[in-house]
Amino acid sequence: MTAQQSLAIIAESMNNSRKAILRSSAPYFFLWGILLTVVSLVIYFLWHASGHPVWNMLWFAMPVLGYASAFLLRKKEGPVPTNEIGRLLGPIWGTFGVFSMCLSAIAVFFVPMNISLIIVIILGLAESISGVVLKNWPIIVAGAILGIGGAVAASLLQGAEQLFLFTLGGILLVLTGLIIKFQYK
Amino acid sequence: MFPKLDPLLHSELRLAVMSILAEVRSADFSFLKKQTDATAGNLSVQIDKLAEAGYISVQKGFKGKMPCTTCTITPTGLEAFRNYVNALKDYLPL
Repeated sequence: MTAQQSLAIIAESMNNSRKAILRSSAPYFFLWGILLTVVSLVIYFLWHASGHPVWNMLWFAMPVLGYASAFLLRKKEGPVPTNEIGRLLGPIWGTFGVFSMCLSAIAVFFVPMNISLIIVIILGLAESISGVVLKNWPIIVAGAILGIGGAVAASLLQGAEQLFLFTLGGILLVLTGLIIKFQYK
Repeated sequence: MFPKLDPLLHSELRLAVMSILAEVRSADFSFLKKQTDATAGNLSVQIDKLAEAGYISVQKGFKGKMPCTTCTITPTGLEAFRNYVNALKDYLPL
């Protein structure tokens, strides 16, 4: 085996395993994106039809549904190791989940606040940071548009219409999954 | 004078396994098998050789009812891999 062949094996092995790991994160972006889109639309239609914002309590069902589905997905896909990028992406979205659930609970039960404004900002931030980690400009820009544009829109929109920001966020998560899937094919 | 290449790493399959583990630190047998396209028997033999040298550690257990073997690169293995890559550079024309 020549030095060139050795280097080729090293490069190919590292590159292929990196791609396999990153590709395996795509279904989770699909899962959370579809869930966010569906939940936001369901709440919008229920709120719109009943005229009552109490349906926003359904947001608290999202982590239960999401983590249960993610658990089943992980079981179905089998064990996949992680690398430095995977070790960053998990905590970024985990932190987003914890922040958004805690702030939502505080807003509902203790201190009323424009929760859509706050969550759309941190959702956009998490998306942009994911783009930085993945070195992917479309994801960085999509996150910035969602976070900054969403903050402006959340301040202007009233009532149930604010939910469309999360529908857009869900669609962006699905698109992120698609970008990852094709970038690391 | 060219530096001597580590004979344990200068083998196609063992080098591929070490390259993957250098990237992911820890991986189970089925992932390594899929990534290297090796047969289970051959991969198992090469993993044993790397483990005997202290380059990787092997944990055998169960996931549910299925047996699961997890390989983890050790600090010694990572150092050996880095030295091997550095030594390779001397063989390449500038």
